[in-house]
Amino acid sequence: VSDHLRARSGLPEATRKAQRRLGILLVLPTVVIMAVFLLFPLLNAVYYVFVDFNGIDLAPPFVGPANIAELARDPDVWAALGNNAIWIVVGTVAPLVLGLGLALLLWGVQRGSTLYRVAFFLPYVLPQVAVGVVWTWIYEPTRGWLNRALEFVGLDSLATGWLGDPDTALYAVLATAVWTAVGFVFVIILSALRNVDTEQVDASLLDGANWGQRLRFIVLPQIMPVFVMVTAITLIGGFAVFDLIFVMTGGGPAGASDVLGTVAYSSAFQLNRISYGTTLALFITTLAVPFAVWLDRVQRRLSTERTGG
Amino acid sequence: MRASAPRSVSLVAACLVATACTGGTPSSSGDDDGGSRSLRYLIEEPEDAEALQALEKHLATFTQESGIEVDVDTLDFNTMRTVLQTQLRSEEGPDVFNWGSGPSFGGALAEAGLLYDLTDAYQENDWQVYDFAKERVTVDGKVYGIPGEMETIGIFYNADLFADEGIEAPQDLADLVAASEALREAGITPMAVGDKEGWEGGHLLSMALSSMVGSDGMEALLAGDDSWESPEVVEALTFWKEANDKGFLPESPTSVDYDTSLSYYYSGDAAMIPSGSWLVGEIDDNTDFETGYVPFPGPDGEGIFTGGLGSGPFVSATTDAPEAAVELLDFLASEEHGRWTVENLHTIPPMPIDTSGLEVSPLFAKVLADIGGLAEGGDFGYNIDVLAGDAFNEAMFDGMQALFTGQATPEEVAANLQAAAGQ
Repeated sequence: VSDHLRARSGLPEATRKAQRRLGILLVLPTVVIMAVFLLFPLLNAVYYVFVDFNGIDLAPPFVGPANIAELARDPDVWAALGNNAIWIVVGTVAPLVLGLGLALLLWGVQRGSTLYRVAFFLPYVLPQVAVGVVWTWIYEPTRGWLNRALEFVGLDSLATGWLGDPDTALYAVLATAVWTAVGFVFVIILSALRNVDTEQVDASLLDGANWGQRLRFIVLPQIMPVFVMVTAITLIGGFAVFDLIFVMTGGGPAGASDVLGTVAYSSAFQLNRISYGTTLALFITTLAVPFAVWLDRVQRRLSTERTGG
Repeated sequence: MRASAPRSVSLVAACLVATACTGGTPSSSGDDDGGSRSLRYLIEEPEDAEALQALEKHLATFTQESGIEVDVDTLDFNTMRTVLQTQLRSEEGPDVFNWGSGPSFGGALAEAGLLYDLTDAYQENDWQVYDFAKERVTVDGKVYGIPGEMETIGIFYNADLFADEGIEAPQDLADLVAASEALREAGITPMAVGDKEGWEGGHLLSMALSSMVGSDGMEALLAGDDSWESPEVVEALTFWKEANDKGFLPESPTSVDYDTSLSYYYSGDAAMIPSGSWLVGEIDDNTDFETGYVPFPGPDGEGIFTGGLGSGPFVSATTDAPEAAVELLDFLASEEHGRWTVENLHTIPPMPIDTSGLEVSPLFAKVLADIGGLAEGGDFGYNIDVLAGDAFNEAMFDGMQALFTGQATPEEVAANLQAAAGQ
């Protein structure tokens, strides 16, 4: 078949060789970059899992699967995993629902639509560290405006030390994360809504479809590939969450808001247990990749169905 | 050709997460390539930007005298903790750097062979560092650095407010409780305590325990001769739990960070702040009331100050300019520099210096006198987090937060401390 194709191509052998060389040359930078920045660190990380590296000893002792065994019976890891689960569920569902709701509300709005988009998208593009610092002030127990506002409206009993209370710390940070993510979901979904076939919506109106039926049977199916993409991005972010929690609570009080990312950081860089921290980091990756692959397949299937391919 | 977003996300996530814990990028270094005499000097980011400018200006005089260029670089403590070892190992790191002098800090670097041996330099230059301070930078008989400034930890109190309320400075633990009750009844937060970052809790335990068991008791605990589950440790932990329960501390101290706790004191909202002598300059700059400074009181007396050493200069084992680095250290160990730090940075070097004629505030003069007493053999307690290992410190920081939030009892925290001490 190969010879047949070559014959059909009608190109001289010298040209084909030059094309092959050019092809290799074009691909080479990507291959090198992938090898240096992805493959090598990944293999390096796997190596660290099986040794006991403290960041100092350059010839760490081989410990076999000891780090993995420790991870399996470490209560801090399982508590952090529970917090990750809460983060993934709430941190995915809340922005999707709120972002979709906002996008639907502003779908038909023409005047000031750019202003709305910028206003809601702004929190998403702000540096997470800056967002964390500002929200830390907002949550401050005596001078923060959240407690002051609660006291102003007579809800003093709800005022608390949001970030220092083990019952509220994780949810307070999560609320900040939802605040930043809603704008992203809103802008993407609003863009998708612009491509919805409005004739179908009008036809369903004539057929007597109510609001919920129009959303379920007309709008959502048309924006589903984009919806799944946004779901994937927010969901995968839930596995690797670190920055906001690190800035706002440091995983505290006493580990109450720890997630796998903060436990990995603390193990590696505060307790100098680089190998155990790396094991945790790879554990996060192992958990996240199947979800990413599954959502990728769902999105591709939906895209194919939409385009009739 | 198509690369769908989720796949991209998974690849990026895998890449980022997998590489997250395997090291950092070394920064560039000023080095000496034989002829040049330049140094990169890495220090912890000062809280006050003016202090950095003053230090750079002061080092310019060293450059003028020696011809050695000093490029001062700063990193915040957490970042420095994360990248310092990588930088030192990379041979691209700082020539001279300031770091803590305990076994978890300089001691760990010395054992890893990352520090330049300064034993001969001490003899040749006759650096006059107090013996007890020199011990903290000595590993296996070799001296690796110049200890940082001497610090004490105790209680600052608003003397004007105390006078207005008719309260005397506490002379024992019962006095402290009585004063706190009186202040609370007057609608004033008795003690500005924040424990959001966790390390503050280590200081709280250190000062209460030091005054409870004395220096001998602290040494026995730190050496493993006494148990952390002893009644005294439980009692010290219980004091802080009850102080929180009785409203002696701000609402939800685990929600309050260190800087915010300082603002409570500076604004007069809180009458006392348990902290250290490093705060003197800031108190002088930020308050218009008189401040007093006492040790954390003991059960039967005025208690003892908790003593400690701040970050001091070490030389990297891989520096290309060891002679220039030692010259810089000679400057930093000089009495002239010591007097400059007292006057400009409000810090106290770990060596005898003549402070007569220096312009210092009354509060700092008091701290100077207290520390002078300690250096001459007075009794002082220990700041636990400088001398304990990382696992113990984590148990202590988490334990104090757990006390304040009701996640653990004093007995449970003490048991966790003992378990961590055994690791």
